[in-house]
Amino acid sequence: MKRYTPFAAAGLQGLLQYRSTFLISAVTATTAVGVQVFLWRAVYAGRDSGLLGGYDLPTLTTYVLLAQILGLVQANRVDEEVSGEVQRGDIAVSLLRPVSYPAARFAAGLPVSLANATLVAVPVLALYAFLLPLTAPTWTGVLLFACSAALSLVIGFGVNLLVGLAGFVTTNIWGVRVVKDSVVAFFAGQVVPLALMPGPLAAVAHALPFQGMIDGPLRLLLGRYDGLLGAAGILAAQLGWALALTALAAVAWRAAVRRVEVLGG
Amino acid sequence: MIVAENLVKEFRVPERKPGLLGSLSTLFSREYRLVRAVSGVSFEIPAGVKAAYIGANGAGKSTTVKMLTGIMSPTSGRALVAGLEPYRERRRNAANIGVVFGQRSQLWWDLPVPDSFRILRRIHDIPDAVYRRNMALFRDLLDLDALGNTPVRQLSLGQRMRAEVAASLVHDPKVVFLDEPTVGLDLMLKEAVRRLVNHVNAELGTTVLLTSHDMGDITAICDRVLVVNHGEVVHRGTMHELLRTADTRAVVFEQQGERDHAIDLIEKGLDGASAQPLDGGRIKVEYPVARWTARQVMSFLLDHFEVTDCVAPEPDLEMVLRRIYAGQVVT
Amino acid sequence: MTPLATAARYARLTWHLSAVSVHRLTEYRMDFLLGAGGLLLRVICQIAVIDMVFRQVPRIAGWHYHEVLFLLGFSLLPRGLDRMFTDQLWILARKLVQNGEFFRYLIRPVHPLFSLLSERFLYPDGVGELLTGAALTWYAAEHLDLSLSAAQWLLAPLLVLCGTLILAALKTLFASLAFWTTSSFPALYAANQLGDFSGYPLDLYHPSLRWLLTWLLPYAFTAYVPASYLLHGHTAMLPWLFVVTAGLVMLALVVWHRGVDRYEMTGS
Repeated sequence: MKRYTPFAAAGLQGLLQYRSTFLISAVTATTAVGVQVFLWRAVYAGRDSGLLGGYDLPTLTTYVLLAQILGLVQANRVDEEVSGEVQRGDIAVSLLRPVSYPAARFAAGLPVSLANATLVAVPVLALYAFLLPLTAPTWTGVLLFACSAALSLVIGFGVNLLVGLAGFVTTNIWGVRVVKDSVVAFFAGQVVPLALMPGPLAAVAHALPFQGMIDGPLRLLLGRYDGLLGAAGILAAQLGWALALTALAAVAWRAAVRRVEVLGG
Repeated sequence: MIVAENLVKEFRVPERKPGLLGSLSTLFSREYRLVRAVSGVSFEIPAGVKAAYIGANGAGKSTTVKMLTGIMSPTSGRALVAGLEPYRERRRNAANIGVVFGQRSQLWWDLPVPDSFRILRRIHDIPDAVYRRNMALFRDLLDLDALGNTPVRQLSLGQRMRAEVAASLVHDPKVVFLDEPTVGLDLMLKEAVRRLVNHVNAELGTTVLLTSHDMGDITAICDRVLVVNHGEVVHRGTMHELLRTADTRAVVFEQQGERDHAIDLIEKGLDGASAQPLDGGRIKVEYPVARWTARQVMSFLLDHFEVTDCVAPEPDLEMVLRRIYAGQVVT
Repeated sequence: MTPLATAARYARLTWHLSAVSVHRLTEYRMDFLLGAGGLLLRVICQIAVIDMVFRQVPRIAGWHYHEVLFLLGFSLLPRGLDRMFTDQLWILARKLVQNGEFFRYLIRPVHPLFSLLSERFLYPDGVGELLTGAALTWYAAEHLDLSLSAAQWLLAPLLVLCGTLILAALKTLFASLAFWTTSSFPALYAANQLGDFSGYPLDLYHPSLRWLLTWLLPYAFTAYVPASYLLHGHTAMLPWLFVVTAGLVMLALVVWHRGVDRYEMTGS
């Protein structure tokens, strides 16, 4: 464990050097929340019933806001860093270090998540809490959310690592990241809760690992589950996907190492 | 062709603090200090001359070259390249010059090399005959075709440098500025780049200004030398004159007799000189020019030994430069 | 050179650059498809959200489903065109000043801005966006039974062009800040991000936000104003569209030139 602390420190230091990334993240999240909130407010205004997919306006606003916040926390730059190293060929050097590369990356990504959570998420949250009526979660919800959010970090990390390793397959990492940023975010429920999606789409979203990144944790936080069993089910699905993605990332990393050994990067 | 009059350049540089706490503190404030990179440099390089611009790291070489290429304007003073002030008439100046900045690319980063040349041909309005002649020359000397259709960003440094040198010469510039033009190249290609530059100079009278850490480049290409230190020109003249500022000379010879005895004899007979054995039974004698003339040393050797072979190597340029940087010589 | 000869020269250069770029497009087909496909998926996700919205209500802020789609599609046209030609400005904002590579635009005998843009000319990702936008606009127009007047037909391409110029000018403006701050990526990114608001009817937003998107970062003129004109015949804002375009382009060029002058002073 101790061997990975330098990576964590370096990850944080790298982030602080680009103090601007905080601003970028803040503006992105604020804009995204703004677009969605205004859109859904117009929808509620045009309806007689105060519920959409079981959400009232303050709860949906809370969902949309927290979905962006959670997305922020999962944005740990791992995809950027890994694909960059692959493209520059620096990845070969990483093989020389006496540590596991994926673990080192995770260690470097964690403080980025924490920094985003404190330096970006809190101000954005405060801004919207000031502007809009929100729903306060219950203590049980907060507790379940804490466990679930931790698992969502692992899932998010696995997805980012796989995207980064895609640099071995294509030079257009920008394209891959656009796909990730839109499709993953969509199926994770970062834009719209899964409960609002039409049947078939919701079924697809539930079958994918991404719902464990946003929709799962937020359902737990906002109490949108059926009893203790329902909550356990959400957590179990997350855990399953976290393990599966970790295994998949490990396999992809093996393949990448073999490729580096054969082709030299 | 190139004139510098009292060129001065000063910068404000932000202070960076080391460590995690340091980067935290730069989140909130930055401090600056004033750096004088070039302080009153003056020189003149006539047309057709191949000049080396030499200096230790941080001596203001690149800054001067940037001012001469129009990338940077001087704080005070004036530069003229082919009759134009580069930073005042940048675009007209750009048509007259070719540039290689070894560490940085001037090519179209996302395009393959052949596409870069297609575009260069158009933006410089290169006549067909000239373009064809030059491309044939580059193909011949630098093996440009081997770079294929890979985007520039994916080329190795050595591959890229070949394209950079070619790109700087494709439009038959009047002046070419070469900053580390052979960095990352193997011996064969270094040789090829030097041949190309010399060829272009001989055929078209192209003026060359070279800065390089590779003494091989300088000796193979340049007939004129400017040495800068701490932002000022401390030596100007031919290569030969520069080398003559060395305070010792050397003779290497071969002889019949026993070697240890010979070395002893030399160090006793020639006060202040040193002798070392080299491979193949040869002996290298180094003597201070202030104490002995070449004639005295030669006659001493001929008097005492059966000399079968003898060479007098040029003084080592790096050694000469080290003395100049250390401020022991002002010429 | 006379202005006419200069214009002819740049037109010729543009033609040659296009030839080189098209040639390249065919060579990196995979990259192109990935970039275009990525943007297509992003738009599809946006449409899916709009779909979900209209499952709940027949119209929002007075706009029907296909009208919103038309607006979204139209907003992609200037965006795509802008991305096709000015993508290198991102690189300027991100690192060209920081790592000193900007020098290369100063040693070519063409306008530095032209030289800069030439490096990512006809950027394939933009082509994908443009095609997606055109398809979506056409699809929505078909469903709306939209019949344009002669004036509207004439103005439509001009509106797209003005939108493109506004986007390009904003990008140039924010990218040029890098000459002072060495990296202006966050500023450019933030400004660009706010453009996301312009894919939806501005009537949705709070008046202060609407004012910001009209007069401060005038994204309103790239989609909302032209779409309102083409769909509903609203002409009140049209004159402003041309004023804003001209003013912004001039401002961007002034800031760019100041920036290049400053770069010459500091070399960084």
